[in-house]
This record gives sequence, structure tokens and C-alpha cells, in this order.
Amino acid sequence: MPVVELSHIHLQKLVGKVTKKQISDSLPFLGLDIESENKDLIRVEYSPNRPDYSTDFGIALGLQGLLQIKTGAIKLNIKKSKKYVISVKSEVSKIRPFVTGIVATNGKIDDKTIKQFMTLQEDLHFGIGRKRKKSSIGIHDLDKIIFPLVYKTTNRSFKFIPLNSKKELSISEILKNTDVGKDYGSILGNSSQVPIILDANQKTVSFPPIINAAVTTVTTRTKNLFVEVTGINKEDAEDMLSVVATILQSAGFTLESVQISGAKNSSPKLEQKKMSVSPSLINQTLGLNLNNSKIISSLKKSRIDALTKGKNIICTIPAYRFDIFGPMDLVEEVALGYGIQNLEPTLSPSQTLGQKHPISISLQSLSSIMTGLGYMEALNSSLTSKRILYDNAQRDSSKIISVLDSKSLEHTILRDSLLPGLIDSLAKNIHESYPQKLFEIGTIFNKTNYVTEETHLCAVSSHKDANFSEIKSVLQSVIQSIFGKTGETRTTTYPTFEKGHVANITVNGKIIGIIGEISQSTKNNFKLRESIVSFEVKLPD
Amino acid sequence: MSQVFHDIEKKIITSLKDNPKQTPETLEKNTKLSPDQIRRGIEWLKLKDLAIVNESKTSIFSLDKNGIESFQKGLPERRLLNLLKDGPRKLSDLQKELGPVFGSAIGLSRKNNWVDASSDQILLKNFPLELPGEKTIKQIGNNKLPQDKIDKNDLLELLKRPDFIIENVIKTKEISLTNSAKSIKLSESSGAIDVEAKVLEVFVARTHPLKDTIDEIREIFVTLGFSEINGNMIQSSFWNFDALFTPQDHPARELQDTFYLDGISAKKIATPEQIRKVSESHKKNWRYHWDINEARKMVLRTHTTCVTIKHLAENKSDEARVFSLGRVFRNEKVSYKHLVEFNQIEGVVVGKDANLRNLMGIQREFYKRIGITKIKFWPTFFPYTEPSLQTMVYNERLGKWVELFGMGVFRPEVTKPLGITKPVLAWGGGIERIAMLKYGLDDVREFYNNNLSWLRSARKCQ
Repeated sequence: MPVVELSHIHLQKLVGKVTKKQISDSLPFLGLDIESENKDLIRVEYSPNRPDYSTDFGIALGLQGLLQIKTGAIKLNIKKSKKYVISVKSEVSKIRPFVTGIVATNGKIDDKTIKQFMTLQEDLHFGIGRKRKKSSIGIHDLDKIIFPLVYKTTNRSFKFIPLNSKKELSISEILKNTDVGKDYGSILGNSSQVPIILDANQKTVSFPPIINAAVTTVTTRTKNLFVEVTGINKEDAEDMLSVVATILQSAGFTLESVQISGAKNSSPKLEQKKMSVSPSLINQTLGLNLNNSKIISSLKKSRIDALTKGKNIICTIPAYRFDIFGPMDLVEEVALGYGIQNLEPTLSPSQTLGQKHPISISLQSLSSIMTGLGYMEALNSSLTSKRILYDNAQRDSSKIISVLDSKSLEHTILRDSLLPGLIDSLAKNIHESYPQKLFEIGTIFNKTNYVTEETHLCAVSSHKDANFSEIKSVLQSVIQSIFGKTGETRTTTYPTFEKGHVANITVNGKIIGIIGEISQSTKNNFKLRESIVSFEVKLPD
Repeated sequence: MSQVFHDIEKKIITSLKDNPKQTPETLEKNTKLSPDQIRRGIEWLKLKDLAIVNESKTSIFSLDKNGIESFQKGLPERRLLNLLKDGPRKLSDLQKELGPVFGSAIGLSRKNNWVDASSDQILLKNFPLELPGEKTIKQIGNNKLPQDKIDKNDLLELLKRPDFIIENVIKTKEISLTNSAKSIKLSESSGAIDVEAKVLEVFVARTHPLKDTIDEIREIFVTLGFSEINGNMIQSSFWNFDALFTPQDHPARELQDTFYLDGISAKKIATPEQIRKVSESHKKNWRYHWDINEARKMVLRTHTTCVTIKHLAENKSDEARVFSLGRVFRNEKVSYKHLVEFNQIEGVVVGKDANLRNLMGIQREFYKRIGITKIKFWPTFFPYTEPSLQTMVYNERLGKWVELFGMGVFRPEVTKPLGITKPVLAWGGGIERIAMLKYGLDDVREFYNNNLSWLRSARKCQ
């Protein structure tokens, strides 16, 4: 989960008349986990579905509601303006069809605010933007741009000076040589034409979804902003824009509209949504009995406007709350406004009788049988390494099951046997006193046409005098407990075991496992010295 | 004194009473015990303050190769002086006769003024009866002698010269009885055994501590009226993600968080109706192109919720309490707090009156039964539940609140497409976290290290 660092003083200034303690106490009830806190700073984790909480402006709006300083929905006051126009050429429809935007004027920006805007931008890119694929955002210094703008395509040899660069680079160079180009270039595929936003003087403003032009870089001297969002879907682009607009307004900017036209594009409305929810769904879901006015005041604390209409409550939801899909999301908003701490847990009597799964019961018995025989229970991961499972144990790796791109070298393949893991456990315990007897009951994976799962039991015994007869005695007793009859052992070969000291285990004429003395070469591979005997059997389904 | 002695101790005490100062070797001879028994016996008596062990070092000297040659032929300088006894000789002749030792012989003789070597003719000036070192060579001869049997100053002369003397340092132990031991009357001791003596360690064979916690949790769920359901660890993306309203382009589905099986896809993932309705819900709410091939990809389940939702979709009960328990997988870097594979417990309640306060009530009861009473609830976010909460548990050892189980009501976007009509309460979380609290561990990897010293000593009954 992402983390944002907040300053107590700044937050207090934004929220209004509150104490530090009120803020610290309330943050968790907005769904913000306090990661650490000191005299001046608080670090909180927020959910990716609430990008507005990536800035202290957004968090302040939430706190104002919860602490009843300002409640109800936040309205965007957008000054109608004809100065800012973007025209869209139809050629973008094939690559990135939509653009939208807004202008924010007369604001103040310090270093901290710039940092927060950047985090907000990154969160929006990652979440709703799906790593810029669905939609992406650019924030620019308005005063460096001459309107009207055009959103069109250009070819890959087109050049401009991109952000963080001193010289002109071509589109191809940007995609090949810059970090953002390498990370996001694949969104544009192999298309020879790429999207570009140019101003009235043909100067590049932005190359979406990759990078802005250097000339429009926002600094602490910037007072007026132009925000553009491009994407493959108009609704998502406008959702993204609405979050930024809301934050900019709370940061003290005046919003002005941008007119967009051409190729199925239109000016953004950033309108509030209406949604109806029934009080009975709310009360039923929360286990409460709230009257409508309590429900409405709770919603207002969650910064949503509501009023009773007939049997239902009609809610007005600001555009930036695109995490609200339907009535159940409003139920949660009521719960948050009501206060989770005010919900008293109740225990309803069970109408059902509980029972364990039959397999759990039989595996628990098997564990107690193995401990009764003097074996200690071990646990290993299902994901293991080729080195342990195949190389060291000298087993056939033709049916290896790999996972893609594991972050851990020790966990790259699924085990098809428990034995190598247990031998490896012995290898980790060479300094402990012998005899060492271990068992494991666990799932193994078999590759046929498909992958199937089986439950196996494996036992190893290691000490100076360990031999085949010892482990066969244990096996007999285990097989008797599982199958109610003794099994048979028939000579075979198996690379992990010593030649002539290994057998198949057969029950009812079916081979169910292997038993024997571990070979010297296997022991050498695991750097083990003491004798080891072992068996592994498949348990009945 | 009513002490009880081992047979070994008795034999050693008896022998030392007859012969008060002995080495382990002589004790071995006198008592007929093995070296190991003597060693143990002495150790026990020392611990009881009945025996004193004095360790000392002595040097033993013998002749080295130059020493042996001198013993046989005389020191090089003696041989030179003997050759000059009958009158002066030419240097070259002497060189020929004495061979390699000539150099040291002439050097020493000139230095001590025994000869005059100012010209080619060497003259005898002095003929001492005993040269430095001669006494020692005679004394040692073919034997090995301790330091106190040799003239120290004379020995020193030879030690300065190369390969004349070999020095061996020998450590010796001398065992004697303490005064209190001397007064022991062994005949008085009864046939009793030493009940305080240390014994060989044997270790309990036990079920794994983590398995014990899992079993305990299973037991609690059953007593709360829940039935256990099981499912595979390998699941299609459809049940692991799509059915749980996680969009196909969601970052959580990417390789970096999820283990996908290399080259393995599911053929049949769900009924055509389930696939149709789930995909419609995705298209409508998430606005993207839903791809069935994405849903066919096989993953190592990232949660047990896929097992639960499949069960609910198959059974569509109006009233149910079920739980599932098992391993889940996350493609993470392994650390003291993260494993790639861990156990998860998940419970669900289905019922027309099921509500959030019930869900909180079940949590409180569950925690009470595993011995955790200080809990509180905070709101949180999960993609497939709404409202969503998390339990915060007070960890006394760390002195802070830590997050434990997550919970919530399944979203209608999850339940509706699968034909589940009644509210579903769900909660779950990692079992290792609870087991860590129980066993006071700070490193979650300990559960899978199979470290015998820990397994053999971890408390079973707590």
C-alpha cells in the first residue's frame, strides 16, 4: 500500500480548529493506517482506490467531514472560460482517442506541494490509469503555453526537448533512452504515429502517455497550471481529471474550464453523480436501526450529500469519488460517517453445526502416528529450487513445473516429491544431536497433461546405524494404520537411493511409494555424513 | 558424609588413597578402567570438589642430527683441535679432511682463541679438556632427558646451534584427592544411586508448532459452527481474480505479485453462464476488454477466497458457515516478515440476516478463544468486499497495535454474477502471524527452517 507523509501543522491549518490528537485519532477511521508518527510528521498508508488521499489536501477534506468541521459533498467551482481550447484530430482515434483538461490559476506552490502533486500523479497512473495504459496525466505551467492547443499524432522522428533533458530528442530516442520511455513505450506498440499535444506556436506541450516537454515544467515560481489527461476511455480520463481538479481547488487554485472538440471528444463536465440507496439495505448490512436523518448526517460526514426521496435516500456523489460503484459502497460511507468505533460487535447464534473435513481428520491422525513412532514433524515450502529437488537428489527433472519470474531463487519450481526437502532439512541440522527422525505430510504437484495435486507422507531417519530394516519396520506400521493391511516392498532402482537398497512400496498391487537407504552420492551432494533411510508414500485421496 | 558414588569414582578414590599422586595413565593401569572412564571419573570428582588436577609442563631433550654426529665423532671444533695436536697444518688440507663442518669448526676456534689462523698454516694455541656443549652431548647421548637432569648453561650453548638439540614440551596431569575426599569411607556408602547425576538427553517427537496453531484454529472454527472446505492450490485466474471482481489489467494480477505457472492453462474454468456473467460485470464496471485467455492462466492461489467463492457459486446456500484453511502464495522477496508461501484461514457466513456487527462479533469471539482480548476495528479496503474492516490487535511484546485479519461483506459485483443472493460475510488472514504472537517469534521464516534445536525445545502446551 502506498504511503504519504503529512505535516501536523500543515494538516491542522487545512482542516481548521483541531488538535493534533484529534487528527491522529481520526486518521484510522478514514481508512488510513498510521505507519509512524512523531512530533511534526505522520506517515500514513492509504488505499489505492482513494488517490485523493495521496495529498494532505485530500486527507484534510476527509478529516473535516469526520470531525464535522465541514460536511457534505465538495463542489467544484469551475469558471467558464473561452480562452483555453484544445482541438482533436481524428488520427488519434487509432492510438489514444481522448483528451481532457482543466486550468487552475492563482495558486501557490511550494516544494512540498510539487512533491505531493507528483505522488498524486503517480498514484493515478498506477491505479485508475493502469500504469498509464488507460489514462495518463500531465501538469504544466500554463504561462509557458499559447492556446489553442492541438491533440494529434506525429511520427517517431519528431523532436522536442523533454522534461529533465537539456537537448532535443526524437520520439524514438525518448522511447529508447529514457527511463519513462523504456517503462511505458510498449503502450504505443509498433505504431509509426504517436500522440502529441502542440501549442499555437507548434511548440510541444506533451508526448502522452510518456513525458511532458521541458518548457512547461512546474516550479515553485509557477502560479497558473494547465492539466491535461489523455486516454483510451473518456470516462476514465475524466475520473482522473476530477481528482486533480478537486485537489487543486482545495489547494487554493481557481479552476477554469478548457474547451475540447473534435473526433468524438467534448469538454469535461466533472459532474456529480446521483445514486439511490435504500435505508433498509444500510441497516440490514450494518446491523443497525438508523433513521433517515442519521443516515444522511453520516453520509455528509463522508462528504456525500443526501436527501430522502420516498422510500429511498438519494445521494449526490462528487466526480472524484469514482470508487463508488453502487449502493453497497454508499453503505460503507454511512458506516464510516457513523464511525466504525460506534459499531458494537454482536454474536448471533449459529444455525449450523461445524465439522472438520474428513481429510483433515485423517491427516491429523497420521501426524500423531508418526510422532508416536518417534518422528518430528517438519514443514517445507511447496516452491523449491531445482538444485534441491533435482540436482542434489539426482532425480529426473523431465516433468519440472516452473513458475514465472519468481523474486526468490530458492522458490522457482513446484515440488513433485517431499523427500529432497527433508534431506535438505537434515543438511541444515548437522550440528544437532543424532538420531534425527523427521516426517512431513504435504502437497506435491504432478505434471501430466495438466497439473494435479497429491498428498504425500515422507519420513527420514538419520543416525550412525540407520538401515533398511529400521525404516521398513516403521513403514509397515504406518501402512497398517492407513490401509489396514501390510504393504509389500519390491526391489527397484531410484537415483536418490543406494543401488540394491531401494524398493517400491506396493499396496493392493499398486505402487504407492518408495523406500530405501539414501546413496552416498546424494549424501555428498547435501554435505551429509550420517546414514539416512527414508520412505515416501502417496496418501489415499 | 552420605554421598553416592559411581563405580568409576570409587575405583579412582581407592587407588588415589593408596598412591596419592597419579597421572591418568598410572590410574588407568592401577584401576583397569578405560581412558574414557578415567577422564569422566576425574571430571565428576573435580565437580564435587573431591579431586585436584594439577597440570604441568616439562621439556624433554634429545639429540638432533648434528648432535648425534658430534656424539659419534666429537664436536666439529674438537675434531679440528685433534688434527692440530701434532703440529700446524695447511688450511686446504684441514678443509678436505673435515668437509662441511670445517667452517663452523674454524670459526669457533678462532673466536675462542684456540687456534691461530692468521696465515695459510693453522697453529694450535690452546687445547681445552672440555669444550662448551661436550658435557651435554655426553649426558644425553641416545636418551631423552628432562631439563633438570642437564647442565642448563652448557645446554644453552648447544640450543644456539642449528640441529643439535630437539626440545619436546610434554604436558602432564597429576591427580590427587582433596582433604575432604581423603576422609571418605567408601565402605559406608549404600546401594543407592546418584539421583542428581546428569543423564543422556532424549527429545520429544512432536507435531510442528505451526501445525498445532493451525489445528487449534480449525478446532475453534468447528466449535463456532463452521464446516471445513478444501480446494486446490493451483487455480485458474478466473476463480482467483475474475470471480472476485479484480480486473484483468489490475496491477495485483501482474507477474510481480502472483506466481503464474509456466506454460499451463486451464481448459475448463467455469460454466458458460458463470463466465458470461462475470465478464459482463467486469466490462460494465471496469470498462475494459475482458479476455477469456487471461482468465485461463493458472496461478498458485494468492488467497483461499478462490476456494470459498467457488464453493458458494456451486452450492448457492441461503444459510451457511464454512471455512477453508491452507497455503497461499505471493511472489515477494523473502524476509523476516514475508514468505512466498504461507497459511491462510478464511471463514464465511451466508444468511439473509448476516450483517457487519455479526462479523465483528465472530471476530471478537475467535480472538478471545486464541487468547487475544485487546482488539479494535478499523476501516480498510479490499477489492471484493464492501464495507471492509481490519482487526487491530494489541501486541504486548511490541507495545503496539498490529493488523491481523481482514473482513467484509462480499460486493454485489462478486455475488450477483455467480447467483449468490444472500449477504456473505467473509474474513481471513495469515496464520503465521498468529503463531508468531503465540511463540514469540520475530522471524516468520523460523516456521519453515526445520531447525531441530528450536523444534526440540519449543513449548508444546501453552
